[in-house]
Amino acid sequence: MTHRLGGGERRWALAILGALALLALLPAAVPREDVINFVFLVLLSITLAQSWNIVAGYAGQVNLGHAAFFGLGALVARTLWIGDTPVAVAMAAGAATATLFALLIGAAAFRLRGAYFAIGTLALSEILRITVGNVLAEISTLPTATIGAYQLTHRYYVALGLAALSVLAVAALAGSRLGLGMQAIREDEEAAEASGVGALRLKLIALALSTGLAGLAGGLFAFYHISYYPAHPFSPHWTFDALLMTFIGGVGTLHGPVLGAVLYVVLKEYVALRWVDFHLLIFGALFIAIVLLLPGGLVQAAERVRRLLAP
Amino acid sequence: MLEIRDLDAAYGDIRVLSGVTLSVGPGEIVALLGPNGAGKTTLLNSIAGLLRPRAGAIRFEGEDLGALHAHLIVERGLALVPEGRRLFGGMTVGENLELGAFAPRARPTKAAGFERVYGLFPDLYQRRRQLVRSLSGGQQQMVAVGRALMTNPRLLMLDEPSLGIAPRLVRSIMASLAEINRAGVAVFLVEQNVQAALGLAHRAYVLEAGRIAGHGAAADLLRDPHVRRAYLGPLAVRE
Amino acid sequence: MSILAQQLVLGLLIGGLYGLAAAGLSLVFGVLKVLNVAHGELIMLGGYAAFWTVALLGLDPFVSLLVVVPLSLLLGVGLYWGLFGFVVRADEETRIKNSLLIGFGLGLALHALAVLLWTADERSIVTPYGGSITLAGLSIPIVRLASLLIALALIGGLHLLLARWRWGKAIRATAEDWQAALLTGIDVRRAYLLAFAIGTGLAGAAGTLVSIGYSTSPSIGLEWTLKALIVVVLAGLGSMLGTFVGGLVLGVAEAASAAAFGGPYREVVGLVLFVVVLVVRPRGLFGR
Repeated sequence: MTHRLGGGERRWALAILGALALLALLPAAVPREDVINFVFLVLLSITLAQSWNIVAGYAGQVNLGHAAFFGLGALVARTLWIGDTPVAVAMAAGAATATLFALLIGAAAFRLRGAYFAIGTLALSEILRITVGNVLAEISTLPTATIGAYQLTHRYYVALGLAALSVLAVAALAGSRLGLGMQAIREDEEAAEASGVGALRLKLIALALSTGLAGLAGGLFAFYHISYYPAHPFSPHWTFDALLMTFIGGVGTLHGPVLGAVLYVVLKEYVALRWVDFHLLIFGALFIAIVLLLPGGLVQAAERVRRLLAP
Repeated sequence: MLEIRDLDAAYGDIRVLSGVTLSVGPGEIVALLGPNGAGKTTLLNSIAGLLRPRAGAIRFEGEDLGALHAHLIVERGLALVPEGRRLFGGMTVGENLELGAFAPRARPTKAAGFERVYGLFPDLYQRRRQLVRSLSGGQQQMVAVGRALMTNPRLLMLDEPSLGIAPRLVRSIMASLAEINRAGVAVFLVEQNVQAALGLAHRAYVLEAGRIAGHGAAADLLRDPHVRRAYLGPLAVRE
Repeated sequence: MSILAQQLVLGLLIGGLYGLAAAGLSLVFGVLKVLNVAHGELIMLGGYAAFWTVALLGLDPFVSLLVVVPLSLLLGVGLYWGLFGFVVRADEETRIKNSLLIGFGLGLALHALAVLLWTADERSIVTPYGGSITLAGLSIPIVRLASLLIALALIGGLHLLLARWRWGKAIRATAEDWQAALLTGIDVRRAYLLAFAIGTGLAGAAGTLVSIGYSTSPSIGLEWTLKALIVVVLAGLGSMLGTFVGGLVLGVAEAASAAAFGGPYREVVGLVLFVVVLVVRPRGLFGR
């Protein structure tokens, strides 16, 4: 794998990983639960956004069913973990289930053209959500002993590790032959196919990576929450959040989803009114503006500003 | 009537036309010949407003067409019968023709237009309630020409009307074009069937690789050895 | 047995509204090649417009259509000029992708706006009249029956509009081949504008009927967009009457599924049908 990551992106990758490394000191420096919970949410969002970015930004397909894999990861991990499986194994099993499901539907799904792939995956994810919601209608709560032994910092470090993993995964992908092939597909699938790039194979690899990460994120979700409705992680809003964060930050870039995730969670925290998801109103409008005017997202905007300022 | 000067046209990075200059006078029939891929369709599409030229001027009756939207060019009296006919398959013959009279210039003359078209192509009158996609190639070509005529044009452009049509019908279509011309409509005809085109036209241009490679009176071009060799073949039979 | 028949009848009644909801989406998608996934939010807005028209002006709920539909047409014009008119400048592939994304952002913003303005509570328009008629042992609620008939009338009107009106034919021509339409002298952008406005008007009407017979709230948007999408994929593009029948089919299928597997699975059958048709026959059942 020749490392073909652009200079700018390489710097960003190092900067982000550096920041994440610094954040490892947070629980010791600021032992406040609300702060740690907030950063946890940012880290989870980064993972979710980066995982979505892999298929959208690198394989060029808008996957609206992302929540299905998040949900499956959560479901399997939770079930195994409550059944006394070590949490690491449970999370791995969750990720494996998500990836397996993705590969099962992948070949058929990728036969659909862009928009139909998007709404088809949404429909699939909704089918799962409704079914899980009916079959497992009751809240899943941790056993008392586990609640007693709950340590927030453990969850925090797993989240930190996952976020770093997702950034590394995208960095490795972008700089590899796989990434180059995916870029070729994104730009002109027919031409790429003609020159021997196996489009379906590459898309499936991207899908597997993406859903594996999403499944791990789901496992983290299951590890973190004391109680929740099993259908909740299947809710499409997880997909939509990931979509918004990635697009607004800059789809197909390494640092875009990270920036978008940070902005999103910060905005959500400080702009949320009593019951209104006011941050969604802002993000919705911002999103439209970006699709129409600035498809590269904030990353592109920052580039333009930088070029304006530096001669 | 139609003046094209130094026209450059391109699709993305691919240059298709370079410095094309030609003209069509009122009442003339002018043919454009050339091999596949020479840029003939691109030229017609540029004139009709479907493609914005990179450089050069297109003037119709003194007015610069360059920036106009395609439907406004139809409104000026310039109509194109596109390659492959491009009819509205899910609608009837009558509906297709009626839509030809959609532009404001053509609405007052709609009834007269129908008379003209059905007069030229009586077959269409019988099939006026038939869905266009159930017609044969030759009949569809008649509808396509008819639809363009309904726009009440002063200049009618056609892109390969004989493509995929039986020879007998080709002759019939050429005859119809001659009749249309006699009624005062200028004709600009892109044709692969050089024999038929030069038999009909007054003048002709030859387009090769995006440039005008020759022009002259139709009769002269028929005798021109290069034209004969390139487009009429060694066994060309005089009509 | 009669319980099943009763459920199927109720499914048929809401199926008419599914058909109406889908008709607007189908028109816009067929003509502009734009997939407005905020269509459900437009329906939601129609529901609220009807609610407030009745609450503030005291009009009969069904008469409020005369206010809501023109307002929706205007909204459609505004959305086209301000937003979707820019999307149509690209080629078809990009159009669909961009409209999907823009519709998504629009839906999100409209949903948040609705909660901001009117809270997340459900609203329902109460009619001064009610009751049901009994037909062959089945009880048919009058209000819902009226809604079905109005929906059918609107679809019929739309069909006539497209078949007889000059611009209706221009819209159909544009849907088939926009370049050929241009060459025929049709101002294609005007056709797009009209189609989008009419599509939004239909959404407003659907929303009104939904809030009369059922209820509206800010979150019904996604649900109705999915329903409309399912019907469009089931019925295919090109026939308004076919779309209406597709809606009826979905309504009945949902009722049958609820009867067979239980209420909570009502939604699933539609989604499964959707995925199956997408993979097996993307053109739909009636589409060309």
